[in-house]
Amino acid sequence: MKMSDIKFLERLFQAYYQEKSNEIPLVSSFGNREFGFIPWQKSIMIRHIGFKNRAQLIDHFTNNPPKHAYASGTLYEQPEAPDMEKKHYKGCDLIIDIDVDHFYTPCKDRHDLWYCKECGTNGTGMPEKCPKCGKVKFSKLNWVCDNCLEIAKKQIQNLVYNFLIPDFNLMEEQMQIAFSGHRGYHLKVENDEIRTLSSEERREIVDYLTGENISFEILGLREKSEGIYGLSKTNIGWSQKIVKQIEGLVSKHKLEIENILLDKKTFDMNPKQIKSFLNYKDDFHQQILNNQRNIWAIEGFGLALWKRFLRGIVQQISIELDEPVSIDIHRLIRYPGSLHGKTGFKVQELKLADLDDYSPLNEQNVDLDPIVFISKKHVKQKLEITEQKVPPTTFKGETYGPYEKGDKIEVPHHFAVFFLCKEVAKTL
Amino acid sequence: MNISIELLRRYPWLPSLKNFYADFGSKDPIEFINDVFSKSSNEEIESRLLRIFSAAFDRLEEIQDHKTDELNISIYLIIKILLYVINNKLITNRVANLYSKQTYNDLLNERDDANVYDICEDLGFNFKYHDVPFQYGVVYNKDQIEILQTNFKIHFIDYLRLAANLHDDYRKLVHNALAEGYIFIDKKDLIRLIQEYVRKKLSTEDNRTDLDIQKLSNRIFKNAEFKELYDRIMGIWELKKEEFEYSFEFKFDDKIDISESFPPCVKEILRRIEEGQNIIHIERLFLVFFLHALDYPRENILELFSRLPDFDSKVAEYQIDFAKKKEYTPHSCQTLKSLNLCMAQKYKDEICLEGYFSKKLDSKRPLTHPLFYFQLKQYRKSVKSKENKTIKPNENE
Repeated sequence: MKMSDIKFLERLFQAYYQEKSNEIPLVSSFGNREFGFIPWQKSIMIRHIGFKNRAQLIDHFTNNPPKHAYASGTLYEQPEAPDMEKKHYKGCDLIIDIDVDHFYTPCKDRHDLWYCKECGTNGTGMPEKCPKCGKVKFSKLNWVCDNCLEIAKKQIQNLVYNFLIPDFNLMEEQMQIAFSGHRGYHLKVENDEIRTLSSEERREIVDYLTGENISFEILGLREKSEGIYGLSKTNIGWSQKIVKQIEGLVSKHKLEIENILLDKKTFDMNPKQIKSFLNYKDDFHQQILNNQRNIWAIEGFGLALWKRFLRGIVQQISIELDEPVSIDIHRLIRYPGSLHGKTGFKVQELKLADLDDYSPLNEQNVDLDPIVFISKKHVKQKLEITEQKVPPTTFKGETYGPYEKGDKIEVPHHFAVFFLCKEVAKTL
Repeated sequence: MNISIELLRRYPWLPSLKNFYADFGSKDPIEFINDVFSKSSNEEIESRLLRIFSAAFDRLEEIQDHKTDELNISIYLIIKILLYVINNKLITNRVANLYSKQTYNDLLNERDDANVYDICEDLGFNFKYHDVPFQYGVVYNKDQIEILQTNFKIHFIDYLRLAANLHDDYRKLVHNALAEGYIFIDKKDLIRLIQEYVRKKLSTEDNRTDLDIQKLSNRIFKNAEFKELYDRIMGIWELKKEEFEYSFEFKFDDKIDISESFPPCVKEILRRIEEGQNIIHIERLFLVFFLHALDYPRENILELFSRLPDFDSKVAEYQIDFAKKKEYTPHSCQTLKSLNLCMAQKYKDEICLEGYFSKKLDSKRPLTHPLFYFQLKQYRKSVKSKENKTIKPNENE
């Protein structure tokens, strides 16, 4: 990025922090949290910073406006101590990070660009390896879109309403939810008992939420001479979740079921298997409902196929979270109210009730709008595109792009800030 | 909490012990030892303790002729003092395993749920008990349906504290009936958690220093009976210890690339570091322990860690030095599996998946430790190179 553009963004962020200093929230146990900042000048995290009060934090934001600002989920006696041992660990909130970077969404096939570092091939989507040379080193340009963020939001709602409240009995007041300012949401559970859990113990919670390492045999799936015994809705826990999901699936229209079962990323069934499933689905549904013998009988479905089917069901139910974030007990997460240096968007705190109607790229409620650099005078800025390709970008109902390298464009201020933060353009 | 004295005699590790025997807690250990050895039969004390330690060294699962009388309380406290002055992790773990298994067996024989209830309450568990059992599922078998039911439910936090280290798949949270914060738990499984509590209580080390241990040993060894008992236990240990200690001889040489002998779990972490990806805390620890075990120089480990996106030299130096000082051994295969760090399947590694033929046995043995993987690979490599050397003259002909 051009030095003058860095300076421009830094001053812009500074102005935001000066103007909105009253709106920057104070997180709980503020004095016990470690802060970390990435400055504009170089990509290193400056950690081991502690603040005694809000005024100190605001001073820091306004005097050294950071590109990225973080605070620990961990509580320490001495958060500013440089050595972990001297920090005196007191506990750590459970952090759940839902970021579309980590899972597939269909719209990525349109807006996420990749370039293979080995052979130079490029394309869109989220390949695991280069389709040409098979290598896995990519440079990527990930974009934001309403669809992705809607999927991420649904994940948070699923997490809260289907796991945290009914299974773990956590209260809404213990959950701090925020739009991350880029491609996802964070949920922080502030609960004294959960704070005491070790990484290994957190791993168990993560496995529960993701359905990772689930054994269908332990849940009851087994082959006997009389047939294949399935899972039961009576069995509290994952069995119940799975069977309820199956009930939902078999109640759908045949065409819809067919599309779901064809999906390569989840069920990946072939037409013959799907045909058999559809032929027997009503009997299968009755079997699940009656819960009498619980022998699952669909022609052509052996134990291996049932397991694949169940794995697909688990994928539909489970939470797509960034596992290391939840397991690590020394993580820093973005500070609410701060700005995200890759977008210029605000990390926006949200109440659970706000989520239903929340749309970060087109938010009508001014208090919850993360797009903070909207010019009231509709000022436009001139930029030149520096990236090979830039996908279309839609904010507030307006779309700009797609663009190609060398394009000279004139876009509203908030788009300009976004393109500069994304490092796909320079000012003219 | 009103716990009966009978229950305390059977289970002297219960927190309520301090209420009944307040003087134990406040007493200097040397006074306690003098007191016990003067009031009770030395022979009896010695024979009971030797039985326990010998059984632990022999990896037995129960203590022969285990008595649950008044003296059992003193025996438990002497075990704790002995483990403190012996200060040997292997011995501590052996004794903790045995003692906790004995507890498990004793608890299984408790006919009255009320005793298990009292114990859970004394341990401060967040749990629920219903006279009419909770139903939480069914198991189908031919035309019969078995109802799964239990009187006990335990809060998930307490469950995780004790079950997260147990490696049976069915104990994983994802396989359990969890609702409204509580897990429906069978009495036997609850007792298994209590066993784990006892094992942890005996094996967890406090912030002792070598100096603290030395000071206490100097004072406590003034009691001749205690010293004699200590010496006898250590004598038995001397005869047994070779069976336990993991011998590993390898000298690091900067000029030789040994990375191809690394197991998949290590290769995977190194690959991700190489790609500039971050690795989680537990992976860092495992890698440091593993490389320390191979005597990797501190600078080489630091250089490796410096490629991590969130590298902080001070933190890394501290972690590396701390691990070296503590002489931690790397995690076993079983632990790595439970932490999802086992990469046997991903790498389709033959040794990891199928095991190996030992020198002594005809049958294959499963691989249990990543260090052994390395040792085995190095051994095979050395055999191969010897074979090549013997072939060479022919090649020159």
